[in-house]
Amino acid sequence: MSTLHEGSGPARPGGPVRAPQNIAGGLVLLALAALALWLTQDLDQGTLNAMGPAMLPRWLAIAVGLSGLALLAFAFIKHGDALERWNLRGPVFVIGGILAFALTIRPFSFGTLTTPGLGMLFAGPLAIIIGGYATPEARLRDLVILSLSLTPFCMVLFGDLLNLPIPVFPQALTGLFPSDWSQKAVLRATAAILAVAAVIVFLATRSRHRGPIDVADHSGRI
Amino acid sequence: MGDFFSNLSLGFGVALTLQNLGLAFLGCLVGTLIGVLPGVGPIATIAMLLPITFGLDPTGALIMLAGIYYGAQYGGSTTAILVNIPGEATSVVTALDGHQMARQGRAGVALGIAAIGSFFAGTVATLVIAALGAPLTRLALIFGPTEYFSLMVMGLVFAVVLARGSILKAIAMILVGVLLSTVGTDLETGEERMTFGLPFLADGIDFAVLAMGIFGIAEIMRNLDHTETRDVVQQAIGRLLPNLDDFKQAYKPVLRGTFIGAILGILPGNGAVLGPFASYTLEKKIAKDPRRFGRGAIEGVAGPESANNAGAQTSFIPLLTLGIPPNAVMALMVGAMTIHGIIPGPQVMTKNPTLFWGMIASMWVGNLMLLVINLPLVGMWVRLLKVPYRLLFPAILMFCCIGIYSINSLPTDVMFIGFFGLVGYMLIKFGFEPAPMLLGFVLGRLMEENLRRALIISRGSLETFIERPVSAGLLAVAAILLVIALLPSIRKGRDEVFTE
Repeated sequence: MSTLHEGSGPARPGGPVRAPQNIAGGLVLLALAALALWLTQDLDQGTLNAMGPAMLPRWLAIAVGLSGLALLAFAFIKHGDALERWNLRGPVFVIGGILAFALTIRPFSFGTLTTPGLGMLFAGPLAIIIGGYATPEARLRDLVILSLSLTPFCMVLFGDLLNLPIPVFPQALTGLFPSDWSQKAVLRATAAILAVAAVIVFLATRSRHRGPIDVADHSGRI
Repeated sequence: MGDFFSNLSLGFGVALTLQNLGLAFLGCLVGTLIGVLPGVGPIATIAMLLPITFGLDPTGALIMLAGIYYGAQYGGSTTAILVNIPGEATSVVTALDGHQMARQGRAGVALGIAAIGSFFAGTVATLVIAALGAPLTRLALIFGPTEYFSLMVMGLVFAVVLARGSILKAIAMILVGVLLSTVGTDLETGEERMTFGLPFLADGIDFAVLAMGIFGIAEIMRNLDHTETRDVVQQAIGRLLPNLDDFKQAYKPVLRGTFIGAILGILPGNGAVLGPFASYTLEKKIAKDPRRFGRGAIEGVAGPESANNAGAQTSFIPLLTLGIPPNAVMALMVGAMTIHGIIPGPQVMTKNPTLFWGMIASMWVGNLMLLVINLPLVGMWVRLLKVPYRLLFPAILMFCCIGIYSINSLPTDVMFIGFFGLVGYMLIKFGFEPAPMLLGFVLGRLMEENLRRALIISRGSLETFIERPVSAGLLAVAAILLVIALLPSIRKGRDEVFTE
């Protein structure tokens, strides 16, 4: 999508900069060092005999900064790699999917705003469908089927078999199930409903698409 | 000698219980299942599967994790042979001849000899660990904080020398890793460092979060950038068992590979990564007809695969005896052990002999499992290899999210894997190798602690590190290594090794 710098392997950039990748790397290291130094400025360094909390971080930050400077310097002396093309679509959707999961799995509040805890029932499919669009080849139907079948699988694996405490169902909707059902029963019922939904979607949309789903595309990409 | 056998029998007593056998089996199976997916290396596999071992008792959890590790390793080799996509540095070599064999319709033989060679190497390495474990542990007990600090410095220097790409960048990554480890409450003074006042950073950055972000999520973003064609072998897999001729050609490389891999694996600082390269180079040098290499020579699969597995296993030695993880995978093992309340180090063997020897015995069991499950299941792995990436990565993504959430039930952890994923992606884009950073992160806390203690004992004198002979020796080795690696002639050779 967006292209910061066009460059492909051996092409040597002109100008004094001989290794653009190292310039960027050096700047990142310098910024990191500066951040660490700023964050530790109020802390006591102590003496070698009794090291304070800031001793190690501060000296490490200085060392990181020096490496950054060295990288910068070498970027003007030695030839190196050009910056690679940046593809924003991947990171944006992948992080979008992760954020969607994090915000919906259980109530999360920042300031006055609180997101509803929707549990795995919504968080899982959201992560798969939003994240799935990170590739231009995404197909909604496949992603929906994938999310409807993987989510119940993970519910049973993590919640039922491994007994890990993961919210499964939106808290607001627990009234839908009979009150004498146990947590596990709700989980299994939800998983079963999702799995059935996956089969229904698969069968209902099959006619419009030629060929079986989930088939290997032999030209495949990774 | 009597100790050796009684220890091993104690270990097998633990490893051969029905529950632990089942866990080893399950670990190997899921490890291979995830590890075989193209673009998912052993580190990402272990990070992803870490949470599913939390509910188990420590011994069972570590046995299962070790199984996952071997499974992931073997899965990586399978991918290298069948698809020519090496999941990690060590299976690059396997891809050279293994994939050619597969194209000639001998994929089965390549997989078979890889499994058999690995099993043999694993058996030998298990015995090496059992033999060296006790004496090295005794050695570790005489180590003071000064020696420990120097040893870790040496390990980090090894990691720098063995990292791919620029040495300067590797050093920077190690420093950043150690710097990251200092985030959080200072253990000595109780003051918060670099936490931005955020409560969830008070305990420091969670190791699993960092590993999953840098190796799981960042890998996804990186793979999405590359539109590599996936070259799944179309030919028949062929028979799986090598015939007599194959064995005759392969047994010597297996022996040599095992020897090389086992020795290199013991070195602190990811020596195991060198094993396959060294073995391949050696086989090519002593072969009667070196031109066969790169065109499907069975020696080129048998040797490196054995070296790989032997090294993978003996790299447990520095961890189990000294408590120092030599590479990123072992760093994950440390993370897993700490979660179960075990602090890796010499005291594990004395305080917790059933866990120590049980784990060592289960290494051998795990290797046997691999042989038993993988060969019959090859067909399934091939099908798995054909799942397109556009369906694979959303599944991996959700698995990572659920996995990391289940550790602490914190939505912030999930957000942080996204953040570290982005950081890892940027690092890759700027030509930094993330593995040394993870190692620096894990060793960072141990290093600060030992540095502090050493300096308290020496009353603030830094000379203690060169006055104490063991420490001075270790630091000297580190310095010599670094100088050698920086010499121009060696550097060229090093670059060749990693680009070949």
